[in-house]
Amino acid sequence: MTLDHVVCETETPAQTQEAEARPLWLRFDRWWLLFAGVVFIVLLLVIRRPDPYRRIVVFLEDGIRVTLSITVVSFLFILFAGLVGGLGRVAKNPIINGIASIYVEIVRGIPLLVQLLFIYYASPIVLRDLGRRLAAVWPALSVRLIEIKLNPFAAAVLGLTICYGAYMSEIVRAGIESISKGQMEAARSLGMSYFQAMRYIILPQAVRVILPPVGNEFVALLKDSSLVSVVAVADMTRRGREFMASTFLALETWMMVALLYLVMTLFFARVVTYIERKLSYVR
Amino acid sequence: MSDNIIEIEHVSKRFGRVVALDDVSLTVERGEVVVVIGPSGGGKSTLLRCINHLEAVDSGHIVVDGIPLTQAENIDKVRAEVGIVFQLFNLFPHLTALENVTLAQRVVRKRSQEGAESIAHELLDKVGIPEKADAYPAQLSGGQQQRVAIARALAMQPRIMLFDEPTSALDPEMIKEVLDVMLDLAREGMTMLVVSHEMGFVKAAAHRIAFMCDGHIVEETTPEGLFTAPKEERTRQFLSQILT
Repeated sequence: MTLDHVVCETETPAQTQEAEARPLWLRFDRWWLLFAGVVFIVLLLVIRRPDPYRRIVVFLEDGIRVTLSITVVSFLFILFAGLVGGLGRVAKNPIINGIASIYVEIVRGIPLLVQLLFIYYASPIVLRDLGRRLAAVWPALSVRLIEIKLNPFAAAVLGLTICYGAYMSEIVRAGIESISKGQMEAARSLGMSYFQAMRYIILPQAVRVILPPVGNEFVALLKDSSLVSVVAVADMTRRGREFMASTFLALETWMMVALLYLVMTLFFARVVTYIERKLSYVR
Repeated sequence: MSDNIIEIEHVSKRFGRVVALDDVSLTVERGEVVVVIGPSGGGKSTLLRCINHLEAVDSGHIVVDGIPLTQAENIDKVRAEVGIVFQLFNLFPHLTALENVTLAQRVVRKRSQEGAESIAHELLDKVGIPEKADAYPAQLSGGQQQRVAIARALAMQPRIMLFDEPTSALDPEMIKEVLDVMLDLAREGMTMLVVSHEMGFVKAAAHRIAFMCDGHIVEETTPEGLFTAPKEERTRQFLSQILT
């Protein structure tokens, strides 16, 4: 599903052992070959055929920045949403558990693209209508709701957070549930509260368990962020469409866009592996 | 005033259709060492776990050191007074031995880092593994892990220690090192409720034995009484099985 798998599977056990001593970024395995190859192709195209490839890259530059910042900003919110949602999913309180479960079930059943379209185009209508109804009761809020204008970037971050937050909640829930019940019992029997036990005992262990799927989510999010191009965010994909519309260079444009996404995803997949190794501990 | 530190009155507990505890009553006096024996599935562990509310009872009352185990705020008070040692140690694998012993002191007892560490070093010394303070649980043998677990419980300065089959997950050669620590505790006058089949420990330290079977306490007796003249047929059967 993600590049992370490719990276791991290319190392046979023997190679892994032999290379274990070297730090990860110095290990010249197949990931390096792939990464260097892709970067080489990009550079070759840009240098040898500046027209159109250099023009494309220059035109995409803003978009790359938008794609990266939307991914990083959303991911921070997603981590928070996943933590809250995951804790909700394992909560014994039926109301909290119910709310978290309904959130996850609804969001997982609607395509991300549709969620983004709904938030950007449909939710202002809902808010405006709500504002009109509130006019008599709460005029100040009513005016604000009627005049609301969604910033495309904020709408995109909101949409990605709501959607990926649900998936992240499930990852966090699975991580918490993977820690043996004895850990919670031991912590509680020492007099720790539920939240102290979560904070000091369960979550630190769960984090190590869920790091690989969380890293996968980051890479998946980077790719899915291309969907925000439909809600007027000038990310790399949208910039690519704009460039193509004015030049009709479909093959060149989309090849370069694809290569640049690949450079980014390969890079982050490796960063995730690196963090995983750093955080692992003797069991 | 009686000096009963644990009072268990008519406690029943069922898991679905299985009756784990059926109208069980037991009292433990301050400073007393009570060993609970009996076949597995007889409710011994459940009884222990009810005392610090890892399991909620269905009916009956439990009073620990004058605190009834009913409202939520009392449960935390009781847990602070009662230390428990588990069959599978349940050490925190992401923390070193020292951190295992200091964590609850800092976040529950609000002791300073230095204060907690000096108590922890003292206790690790007491259980005989001062040199393992910086080792992670995975680097320790089972016996060493269990001794860290005992130190971790003692760090909260409990008035009562519960032991839930503390040696049954250990290799034979490691049992003694854990039992020695428990014997020391008993000699110091700690109130202990122990689920165990270690007859050596029973002979050396127990004041009283409770034999549990099918959710009932079938017989309460002294160690001498148990070995010389068990009253109940069921006790006799059980003893003949574990003593041969």
